[in-house]
Amino acid sequence: MMLLELIVRLALWLLLAPLLPGIINKVKAWVAGRRGPPVLQLYYDLARLWRKGVVMSTLASPGFIIGPAVAWVAVAGAALLLPLGAAGSLVGFRGDMLMLLYLLALARFCTSWAALETGSAFEGMGAAREVSYAVLAEAALIAAMLSLCVQTGSTALATMLAPSGGAGAVLLAAGLFLVLLAENCRVPFDDPNTHLELTMIHEVMVLDHSGPPLAVLLHCATMKLLLFALLLTQAVLPIGRLSEPANATVLAGGVLLAMVGVGLVESLLARLAFRRVPLFLVTAFLLCLFALLMAWKGGRA
Amino acid sequence: MNDWLNPLLGLAIGLNLLALGTSRLPTLTSAVATQGMALGLMPLFMEEHSDWRVWLIAAATVAGKGLVIPALLRRAMRAAHIDREMEPLIGFVPSLLLGAGGTIAAVALARLLPLLPEHSGSLLVPGSLASVLTGFVLLIGRTKAISQVCGYLILENGIYLFGLLLIHSTTLLVEAGILLDVTVGVFIIGIIVDRIQRAFDSLDTRKLTTLRE
Amino acid sequence: MSAGALLLLALVSLTLAMLTGGRFARTWLGFVLVAAATGSAAAVTVFATGAEWEWQSDFRVGGEALHLRLDGVSALFLALLSVLGGGGAAYAREYWPDEHYPDSAPRGRACWSSLMLCMGLVLLSSNGLHFLIAWELFAVSAFFLLTLDRQRREVRQSGWLYLAASHGGTLCLFAFFGTLAARTGSWELGPLRERADLSPLFWLALAGFGVKAGLFPLHIWLPSAHANAPSHVSALMSGVAIKMGAYGLVRFSGWLPVPAEAGWALLLLGSVSALFGIAFALAQSDLKRLLAYCSVENIGIICAGLGLALLGAARHHAAWGQLALAGTLLHVWNHGAFKALLFFGAGSVVHAAGTREMSRLGGLWRAMPWTASLFTLGCLAVAGLPPLNGFVSEWLIYLGLFDGAALRAAPLGAVMPPAILLAAAGALALACFAKAAAIVFLGAPRTKAAERAHEGGAWMHGPMLLLAGVCLALGLAPLAFWPAVASASRAWNPTWVASEPPAPLAALSLVQLTLACLAGAVAVGLWRKACANGLRRGLTWDCGYARPTARMQYTSGAFAGLAAGWFTWLLRPERLLHRPRGLLPARATHIERVPETVLERVLTPVAKQVLRASTATRRLQHGRLPAYILYLVAGLCALGLFVLLGGRP
Repeated sequence: MMLLELIVRLALWLLLAPLLPGIINKVKAWVAGRRGPPVLQLYYDLARLWRKGVVMSTLASPGFIIGPAVAWVAVAGAALLLPLGAAGSLVGFRGDMLMLLYLLALARFCTSWAALETGSAFEGMGAAREVSYAVLAEAALIAAMLSLCVQTGSTALATMLAPSGGAGAVLLAAGLFLVLLAENCRVPFDDPNTHLELTMIHEVMVLDHSGPPLAVLLHCATMKLLLFALLLTQAVLPIGRLSEPANATVLAGGVLLAMVGVGLVESLLARLAFRRVPLFLVTAFLLCLFALLMAWKGGRA
Repeated sequence: MNDWLNPLLGLAIGLNLLALGTSRLPTLTSAVATQGMALGLMPLFMEEHSDWRVWLIAAATVAGKGLVIPALLRRAMRAAHIDREMEPLIGFVPSLLLGAGGTIAAVALARLLPLLPEHSGSLLVPGSLASVLTGFVLLIGRTKAISQVCGYLILENGIYLFGLLLIHSTTLLVEAGILLDVTVGVFIIGIIVDRIQRAFDSLDTRKLTTLRE
Repeated sequence: MSAGALLLLALVSLTLAMLTGGRFARTWLGFVLVAAATGSAAAVTVFATGAEWEWQSDFRVGGEALHLRLDGVSALFLALLSVLGGGGAAYAREYWPDEHYPDSAPRGRACWSSLMLCMGLVLLSSNGLHFLIAWELFAVSAFFLLTLDRQRREVRQSGWLYLAASHGGTLCLFAFFGTLAARTGSWELGPLRERADLSPLFWLALAGFGVKAGLFPLHIWLPSAHANAPSHVSALMSGVAIKMGAYGLVRFSGWLPVPAEAGWALLLLGSVSALFGIAFALAQSDLKRLLAYCSVENIGIICAGLGLALLGAARHHAAWGQLALAGTLLHVWNHGAFKALLFFGAGSVVHAAGTREMSRLGGLWRAMPWTASLFTLGCLAVAGLPPLNGFVSEWLIYLGLFDGAALRAAPLGAVMPPAILLAAAGALALACFAKAAAIVFLGAPRTKAAERAHEGGAWMHGPMLLLAGVCLALGLAPLAFWPAVASASRAWNPTWVASEPPAPLAALSLVQLTLACLAGAVAVGLWRKACANGLRRGLTWDCGYARPTARMQYTSGAFAGLAAGWFTWLLRPERLLHRPRGLLPARATHIERVPETVLERVLTPVAKQVLRASTATRRLQHGRLPAYILYLVAGLCALGLFVLLGGRP
C-alpha cells in the first residue's frame, strides 16, 4: 500500500514538474507578443537528452555524474516530504521541514561539486555565487518556517501548512515569492535565457554537462520550482479547511498563479546587478521576519 | 477606530524601510509623499466628532505633505540633474537592517512605556519611534542633500505621530502647529538647497566642509 | 569485567606506553590500542548497565583522597577520547615515523600517551584539586605535542600563544575551584544543586572552560595552534582537547545551580561564535587553519545547545530542553568524528604535496582517490547535510528551538536570533566546505608539488575509514547510540529520564537510510546509462576556450570572496597588491591575508599600550640611592598628611 502510494506520488512529481517552465515561457511569449515554444517543450528536450551520449572533461572524476544523481534524489526526497494539501505527504514527523531545507542544501552542494569538477573558471564563478546567495535565502526560509511554526503551534509540515499564514500572510507571501525567484534562478536574480556566462548563476554551473546527467539536472531544477510553488501556495492560502476535490483545484490554481507571476516578473523586470542582489535577499528576509513578529504578536494578544 | 489605524501605521513603517533601502531619489520622494498622505488622513480616524476644521486641516496636510513638498523636491532634482544616491556613508543593507532592528526595538520599548489603555494596543508609539530613527539614519547616512531633506521629513512625521497621542486633549492645536513647523522648515531647506546647488554645482553635502576655511 | 578493572588496565597500558614509547614504536602502538579498547569498553559498560562507577582511594595525593567517578557524561567523552586517541596513534605510525623525524617522533609518542592519560584523569576526577592537577598536566603535554616540529618559528610561536591562553583560562579555573572549595568546605565535587549561592561561579567556569573550548572571542590560540601542529595532533586537539572545555561546561552546569541569565547568555554567545567562526573559516586559504576555525563554529553550536537545555531546565524541565541536550551531547561525538576525519585527510594532503596552502593544490583526486572520497564524506558531514551525522545533531538542536518557539515557552528574543544565526552559519559552512574539498581535490593541479602527489598507505587510511564508518553509523542509525545519550542526560539532570528516543528521530533515521540507499542506486544507474549511451573524454568545453590552463581555475579566495566580502568589518583582511604595469609586465603580486582579528586588532594593541605604560613607569627605577630615599620621605609625609586630615589608619 505504501509502495503504491510512493509510486503514485513520485510519478505525479516526475510528470508534472517539467510543465512549469513551459507555462512560464508561454506567459513571457504572450507578454512579448510572440507565440513562444510549446508548453510541453521541456518534455521533448528531456527525452532527447536522455538518448544522447556524455562528454566528460579529462579533469572530471566520477563525481561529475554522481553529483547530479544525488542532487536529484535529494530534491525528490524533499518533494515527497512536502504535504499536498489534504492528501498529506508520504511521511511526516515533527521537524520534517528542517529535513526539507537541508535536503535542498544537499542538492545545492552536489550541483556545486559537479560544477567545480571541470576546473573551469566560469563554473567556479557560478558555484561561488550560488552558495553565497544561498546564505541569505536560508535565513529568509528559516524565518518563514519559524513564523509558520509560531502561527500554528506545531513543528510538523502537515499541521504547519494546513491553516493559512494568518495576519502576516501578505508579508509571508511576498517574502516567499522573492525566495522562490532567488532559489530557482529567475529574474531578477538570474536570467535563464542569457547567453553571457559572466552574468549567469545556475546556467553556467551546467555548462559542461551533457546527455543523461544534464537531463537529470534540468528535471531536478523543475522539481525544485514545483516544490517552492506548492510551499508558497500552502503557506498563504487556508488549504486545510477545504474538501478534497476543492483542495486539489485550489493547489493547482495556486501553482498556476505563481507561475504566471514568475512569467510576468521575468517579462517586466530586468536582472539585477550582482552587487544589488544581497539587498533584495535582505528585503525578503526582513519580510519573513516581520511576518514572524506579527505571528508572535497575534498569538500573544 | 483601531481597525483602520493599525494598517495605516503598518504602511507607514513599511514606507520607512522602503525609504532606507532604495537608492533612487524619485522612489524616496514618493515614499515620503505617500507617508505624509497616510499620516494626514489619521486625525479623521481618531477624532469622534469630525467637523469642518478637522477636514480642512487634514486636506491641507495631505496637500502639503503629499503634493506640494514632493513637487518642490522633484523640481530641485531636475535642476541638479541627479536621480540616484551613489555612495551613502551608511550602506543600503546596513541601513535597512538598522531600520528593521530599530522598528523591532521600538515595538519592544513601547510596551515598557506607561501609555493610556486605548493607545497600548496600537502601533502609534512604535511607528513614531521607528520613523524618528529612520529619519536620523537618513540624515546621518546619506550624502545628497535631497536624501537628507527626505530624512528630515520622515523625522517630522515621526514627531507628528507622537503628537497624535494628545489629539483628544488639545485637538487642532497639534495638527496645526506641526503643519506650520513643516512648512517653515521646508521653506528654509528649499532656500539652502538652492544656494548649495548654485555655489558648488552639486548637491553633495560633503563639499560643505570647504566652507571651513 | 567491571568498569573499574577496565580503567585500571587502561591506566597501566598508558603508563607503559609513556615509559617505553621513546624506543619501541610498535609496542607503544599496541599499548595505546589496548588502552583505547579498554577505555571504550569501560564507557560501554556504564551505558549498558546505567550505573555509575565510583572509587575513593585510601592514600592521599596532595592532601586529598583520590576520588574517581565514571558516569554517563564522563563515559561519553571517554569513549570519544579512546577512539580518537587510538586512531591518531595508528595514523602517526605512517605520518610521523622515526625515519623522517628521528628526534621528535619518540618525544611525540611519550607526550601522546601522557596527553591521553591526563585527559582521562580530567574526565574521571571528582575532586577539585586533582582536576586542576590533571588539567595543568594535560595543558603542558598538549604544548609539547603541538611544538613537535620545533625547528619552525611559527610552530614555536603558536605553542607559546597556546600556553599563555591556556594558563589564562586555568587561572579562572583556579579561582572557580578555590571559591567552590571555600564555600562548600571541601574539595570534593558532586551534585550541589540546592546551594543557590554557588550560581555566580558559573561565569568563572564559563571563562575558564571557554578558553579551552575555543568559544569566540576566547579562541585566539586555536587557529595558529591547530594549523601549525602535526595533523594527528590537530585531530586529537580539535576532536577531544577542546571537548574537555565543553565537558567542563556540561558537567558544572549540571552539578551546580546556574544564574537565570546563564541559559540566554550561553545560547546567544554560542550562536554568535558559530557565525563568526565559520565566517573566519570561509576566508582562509590555509587548509588546516580553515578546519581550526570550523572547530570554533562547532563549539559554538555545542554551547548554544547547552544554553537552550539550561533554559529548558529552568522552565519546568521542558521536553524541548531535553532534545537540545541530546543534540549537544551527540554533536560532541559527531564533531570529534568528522573533524578528526578531516584533519587526517588534510594530513594526507600535506604528506603528499608538502603544503597546506590551497592555492598550490588541486586535482589531487586522481592520485589520492581514497583520501578524496573520505575527505568529501567528512565535508558533507561537517556541513550538516543529510544523511550523515552532522545533520542529526543539528536537527535535534533546531527541533528544540522550534518546539520552544511553537509552544511559546521561551521568549521570542531568546529563540529567534539563534535560529537565524545558526541557519546562516549552516549555509556558510556548506559554502566553506564545498570550497575546501573542491579547490584541493578537483580540477587540475596548480603547482608541480600537487602534480607529484601520491596516496598514503594503509596506516593512514585505516583510521580515516574507521571514522567515516562512525559518521555513517551515527547518521543512518542514530537510535543505536541513544542509550549513551540518554544515560548522559540522566547524569546531567536526574529528573530527565529520556529512556526512549523521541519519536521523530526514528522516522528521521528511516528516511535518511532510505535516501542513502536510493542515492546509491540512482548514482549507479545514471553512471551505467551514461556509459551505455557512450562516454567520451575531452577537454573542458568552457564555452569553446581552446587552451585552458590550471591557473585559470577559480581560486579559494575568489570562491569565498563574495560571502567573505559581507564580513570585512569582522575579518579586516590585509591586502598587498602590485598591479602589472606596462606592455610587458615583469612581475605582479596579490597577497591577501585574513589576520586573527581578536588577537591582532584588539589584544595586541592593548598589550602594546600596557607595555608602553609599564616602560614609562620603569623610569622610576633608575638605581640612584638619593632618589630612593626621597621616595621614602615623600611616602612618610603623605601618610602623615592622611592621618592629620582625619583619615582612619
